Amino acid sequence: MKGFTLVEKIIKSHTTASEEEIFPGNIVWINLDLVTARDYAGPQVVDLFQKNYPDSKVFNSNKIIFTPDCYPYGNDPKHAVDQEKIRVFAKEHNIKVTDLGSGIGSHLLFRRGFSKPGDIAFGADSHYNILGALGILGLGAGDVMLAFAMKTGKAWIKIPETVKIYLEGDYSWPTSSKDLALYVLKQLHEYGITGKSVEFYGNIISKLSIEDRVTLCSLITEASGMIGFVPQDSITADYYKKLGIEIETITADDNANYSSELTIDIEDLGMYIACPPHPHNVKPIEEVVDTPISSIVVGSCTNGSYTDIHEVARVLKGRKVDPNVRFGIVPATREDFVTINSEGDMSVILEAGGNFFGTGCSTCAKGQYGLTGGKTAVTLTTGNRNTQGKIGPADVYLASPAIAAATAIEGKIAIPKVSEEK
Amino acid sequence: MSKENISGDVTLVRVDDIDTDQIFHQSLLTIHNPEEIKPHIFGNLEGFENFGKEDNSNKILVVGKNFGKGSTRQQAVTGFLAHKIKAIIGESFGPIYYSNAVNAGLLLVEVPDIADFVIDVDDELEIDISQSVLLNKTKNAQMKCKKIPQPVLDIMNAGGLLKLGGRF
Repeated sequence: MKGFTLVEKIIKSHTTASEEEIFPGNIVWINLDLVTARDYAGPQVVDLFQKNYPDSKVFNSNKIIFTPDCYPYGNDPKHAVDQEKIRVFAKEHNIKVTDLGSGIGSHLLFRRGFSKPGDIAFGADSHYNILGALGILGLGAGDVMLAFAMKTGKAWIKIPETVKIYLEGDYSWPTSSKDLALYVLKQLHEYGITGKSVEFYGNIISKLSIEDRVTLCSLITEASGMIGFVPQDSITADYYKKLGIEIETITADDNANYSSELTIDIEDLGMYIACPPHPHNVKPIEEVVDTPISSIVVGSCTNGSYTDIHEVARVLKGRKVDPNVRFGIVPATREDFVTINSEGDMSVILEAGGNFFGTGCSTCAKGQYGLTGGKTAVTLTTGNRNTQGKIGPADVYLASPAIAAATAIEGKIAIPKVSEEK
Repeated sequence: MSKENISGDVTLVRVDDIDTDQIFHQSLLTIHNPEEIKPHIFGNLEGFENFGKEDNSNKILVVGKNFGKGSTRQQAVTGFLAHKIKAIIGESFGPIYYSNAVNAGLLLVEVPDIADFVIDVDDELEIDISQSVLLNKTKNAQMKCKKIPQPVLDIMNAGGLLKLGGRF
């Protein structure tokens, strides 16, 4: 019997195409479990929907969510008009909106159980593929695809090739899942995974929390890949059990057809930093240590979880942020905000000189804290893109939350001190 | 489009890994009108900042690999349609960019060995869609391109994905 990879299996269960039609390179129509849009593409999706399908209903109002996470604060008159367009349309069609303070849509999909392993979710966010960390086929899509999907519940997909990746070895603090993600990005960009799906295997996987897995999968976009999957295991099942959701386990077949296999050695992995001008320009921290930094942002779908902010508190405890550094933290979701508050991380960070901003996408999106002007305001962020000119005219570095905190203390890129915690 | 050949003069932006933030910067995302998007195309790509203000109509744009990686923003496709670019030829494209282009009717042609193909500005190129061949008429040379899948041609021939909304 023909074997299928994870992405092929999920596609196969969402299409009327036959088994014979499920092979890499073929294009099939798929039925979507969830269609979302946020505040920057959402208004255009609404415009396209109304223009092309006047007086039409959406395919299923229970399978659509608007997730304003870029600038839901109305901090600009144009944004305010756009946001209201979403809210009015949502009300008219009885669609859920996760509004101000809820946070990043892709994270809400798993934090609130809107999407479960084996599902297909499309959204206006190129990092929807972080959902691969939970075995969900999450994909970013543009305005046209989403307007069509809201009308029909369908989309087309070019079935990708799958690369099987073995992560061999283990690492210890202060190396984190962000260093792992950056190191893997560097390898995969050189290897070439444009448009492909990858599946991660190796003993390390069982030691990675859901948040670590999200970080690992979040940089596949930066290697031009389609999605990275962490196959479901007991960690995934326990996560959904706490949400009161029973999940059906989907694994790749033993005889699945992979386009290639790659082993990446991560034994005693060090710390890594993405240097300007590309996310894949990844270097060992030793090569850039002592680079002066004046703006630091902890946040994004890559590293905005409570676990990431906890890492910041762990390094900052009893220390002070350099007064020349502007240090901002943008929690990914309200749930993360609540946790860091109840666990005391917020006060540690505030006392050290850090600042908190409302939940959302941070510097990766327009309209939020962290943009810079001038060539001297060099940034270090835990986000996923350092494209030249994106955040400001000066250089941008990408690193882990622990490195961000150590750098905030020193005012220059620094190696986190070994924690006193046992 | 299934039978027609596409031809035009070349404009070159042979840079690898061009991100959507270099095509159409995030600070401009509240702009949706194609004519207003047009002058900003490549506004954040060093060396090509004036591209958006130049006349590129009926040209074929040649790029490098991983073109259009990055965000889902539709404007990064819309801008080239506003310029009346006939096609973009590259070694490879970001997967989201590829589907956004198809859905809006912008032809993308993948040529795996494009880096080895000698092309100069203003050369006349022809894309033979049915034979999957790229011709440089000025240099009298040709190269194989990846076959454009039939469903992609069907979407483009329909005038874009939104036109198919009534069929489902």
